[in-house]
Amino acid sequence: MAASASVRGLGWRVLACSWELPCTWRALHTSAVCAKNRAARVRVAKGDKPVSYEEAHAPHHIAHRKGWLSLHTGNLDGEDHAAERTVEDVFLRKFMLGTFPGCLADQIVLKRRANQVDICALVLRQLPAHKFYFLVGYSETLLSHFYKCPVRLHLQTVPSKVVYKYI
Amino acid sequence: MKWAPWSNLHMDVPKDLTKPTITVSDEPDTLYKRLSILVKAHDKAVLDSYEYFAVLAAKELGISINVHEPPRKIERLTLLKSVHIFKKHRVQYEMRTLYRCLELKHLTGCTANVYLEYIQRNLPEGVAMEVTKTQIQQLPEHIKEPMWETLTEEKEERTS
Repeated sequence: MAASASVRGLGWRVLACSWELPCTWRALHTSAVCAKNRAARVRVAKGDKPVSYEEAHAPHHIAHRKGWLSLHTGNLDGEDHAAERTVEDVFLRKFMLGTFPGCLADQIVLKRRANQVDICALVLRQLPAHKFYFLVGYSETLLSHFYKCPVRLHLQTVPSKVVYKYI
Repeated sequence: MKWAPWSNLHMDVPKDLTKPTITVSDEPDTLYKRLSILVKAHDKAVLDSYEYFAVLAAKELGISINVHEPPRKIERLTLLKSVHIFKKHRVQYEMRTLYRCLELKHLTGCTANVYLEYIQRNLPEGVAMEVTKTQIQQLPEHIKEPMWETLTEEKEERTS
């Protein structure tokens, strides 16, 4: 795409600015921003909102009470291609959200070992089994051909969303 | 080997039975004085478990192994908390890299290849490995004797 080609060398966070103006090719240097009080937190309600273990814990609990949702070596000291892995992650999450509409019980866990990508998902029993098998085969083949590496999908079915507490 | 995806049937690549798995050759095997494996990860528990696995594998093969833990490195970023103003309010993120160093002493090339292949196939996700090999080689013939002895012999030949 033209907009992404122009900003490829500037870091993927600048993509957000250039999306609105596809004709301008100048760079805008902004720092990535995050409202730390509100990131990845479910806001407290009256006590009737069911929340899973993943959603109930804030991001500062990662590595203490939570694990990681995406496991790759890009963010380690002296390793590169972190941005490529992140973009792939975003695409894979959106793809899974769209391929299994209303069936995903929780966030997807992405594991990268050597060449292959393992997508681990908790799925609700909304669709009949043969439809699930078809969707698994379809997504595995499509993603493998798209990313040119083995992509495996591991599903676990669950009767309903696993609730940790009610906020 | 053409890779074909099999959903939910995790089949390995079939073994080629025509090729022999054990090969015998007359060349002397390469010798390694030291094999240093540095393993990096974000999670200490994963590193502990992988170290236990690697040490167990080395003991089974009869390789002498030493483990030590280099100090961790933390990379910190400070970003603005808000989209527009509020320069005084910032957010800090950090990326922690924990290390573990496994040192194997006095190996042959075959042992090293087998051990490294086993270790690397079972590397967990999110863990990176760097291998440093120190090889022992025989001293070349032309360095074995000191230069001045051959030089004095040549001078004597020229004068006589």
